[in-house]
Amino acid sequence: MDERFSGFGAFILYTITAGMMLFILAPLLLVMAVSVSDSYFVTFPPQGFTLKWYAKVLQDRDFLEAMRLSILLALGTTAGSLLLGVPAAFALVRGNFFGLAAIKGFLLSPLIFPALITGLALLQVLTKLGSQDARLNLLIGHVVVTSPYVIRTVVTSLQLVDENLEDAARTLGANRLTTFWRVTLPQIASGVAAGGLFAFMVSFDNYPVTMWLANSEYSPVPLVLMRQLVNVFDPSVPAMSTIIILMAMVGVLLLEKLVGLRRALAA
Amino acid sequence: MTTSEDAVAVLGAQAPPAARRGSRWRLALPVGLLAVPMLAFLAYFFFYPAIQLLLSSIQTQDSRGIIGRPFTLAHYARLINVELYARVLWTTLRISIITSVLATVLAYPVALVMVKSRPMITRIITLIVIAPLIVSVVVRGYGWQLILQNGPKGMLNWILMTLHVVDAPLSVLYTEAAVVIGSLHVFFPMMVLPLASALGKIDPNLEDAARMLGAPWWRVFLRVTLPLSMPGFVAGFTLVFSLTAGSFVIPAILGGASAVMLGNLIEQQIFVVYDWPFGAAIALVLVGLVLAVNGVSMWLLEGRRLRRPE
Repeated sequence: MDERFSGFGAFILYTITAGMMLFILAPLLLVMAVSVSDSYFVTFPPQGFTLKWYAKVLQDRDFLEAMRLSILLALGTTAGSLLLGVPAAFALVRGNFFGLAAIKGFLLSPLIFPALITGLALLQVLTKLGSQDARLNLLIGHVVVTSPYVIRTVVTSLQLVDENLEDAARTLGANRLTTFWRVTLPQIASGVAAGGLFAFMVSFDNYPVTMWLANSEYSPVPLVLMRQLVNVFDPSVPAMSTIIILMAMVGVLLLEKLVGLRRALAA
Repeated sequence: MTTSEDAVAVLGAQAPPAARRGSRWRLALPVGLLAVPMLAFLAYFFFYPAIQLLLSSIQTQDSRGIIGRPFTLAHYARLINVELYARVLWTTLRISIITSVLATVLAYPVALVMVKSRPMITRIITLIVIAPLIVSVVVRGYGWQLILQNGPKGMLNWILMTLHVVDAPLSVLYTEAAVVIGSLHVFFPMMVLPLASALGKIDPNLEDAARMLGAPWWRVFLRVTLPLSMPGFVAGFTLVFSLTAGSFVIPAILGGASAVMLGNLIEQQIFVVYDWPFGAAIALVLVGLVLAVNGVSMWLLEGRRLRRPE
């Protein structure tokens, strides 16, 4: 225990912290526990042990279709927000033009705008344009909300790049493209990867934009889960949820390995 | 000797910036252009739709569903004057404020322990705080639904009744309290992370000095730690408030009919009633609320009206 905390103050601090850790983990652990319950309804305490609900979920056409759509959508979103966001981050860090601060504010503004309203506004405009393909509409909406994350992480890592190395490469005769590939990109690779992973995870879990732009034919995982939650009462819902929790854990561990969680999430 | 040193100093100080200015001048145009695709994309799919939504909120929808003139503020008036809708606005404000205050009170201890413990403990706490952030909100809402379930089969009621704390099951699900609990769970990391980063920047010598001069732990906290962590608090409070006010999933799963928030009302107006102008007006009120809170927070943070930790 740290010597800075002592006596009654330390007791309060550690008690509240431990309580909050329990508060954070409880609903997730409960969902996982119930998913292996050998009963036809979700009840507490869970009874017995079975994996049959996982078997049911993995044969559920709706869920598998949704999974496929969500993964493809998240991959497309990652590619789109990297393609648009990485060059924009370059302009923000290396550029030296009038209105730079205002442009940076504009590019990051989807972060403070309520996502629910971003989706609603986009739905109105896309409807007017006659854009009927839900997959394309979802892709556009997801890139709008994920690109600021990419810009933010890439800007942070670009600011740490040593420009002297680039100058050295240029002096030694490398052209601009070679310098970028061989000198700059390796230095920002972890930032770009973290931004891409972030975009993937935000897209995969997104509800507030997705709910406006999806339709009955193309419903990503969060929407299908929400529908099941209202209509299905057996432990297949917790089994689906557990699969999603485990996927998120893999993402978290990857992010921690790539850049460290605190740095990845720092504003 | 002196002159050559001067010459080196002068060259050293001036030559690189001059060269750099030269290269910047050549690079300025192309580098700036790299932002154009992103700007165009956001202008067309984010900024323009927002303006369109604003316009719909002050226009009239005819019986065929076409939105046009005359311009009117009637939709905004309706939100405030019709008691049913006004109540949703107040519920939203109440839930958002209570959630933000609770998050602040509970996040300070967690952030303090996170910043000042051994690296191992810091790592574990960080992982636990952040991990759920990446789990779908629907899953987390569902988890709370299972815990708070009304009747003896809910986890909370089962535990309380087994321990004989209560004799009859509590009814927590489908109340505002359930929405506050769910929102707190979903947005708690948004308070802990900025607080931890502000607390981490405080010079520990300041607190040590206060302690050595005889201040008890609570006075050290109130007079040194708390004032110096204000930037983190302001940032965290703004985030939690904005995100709670704009939520849809948590009130839909945990609030039921008794804790409808603005987001749920908007969805209902658009998907059930098809009243676009009214839905847009509610949306704009929500945006106004969120932007106002963010504006105040930026004014506090950037105007250096708060003492920042050095």
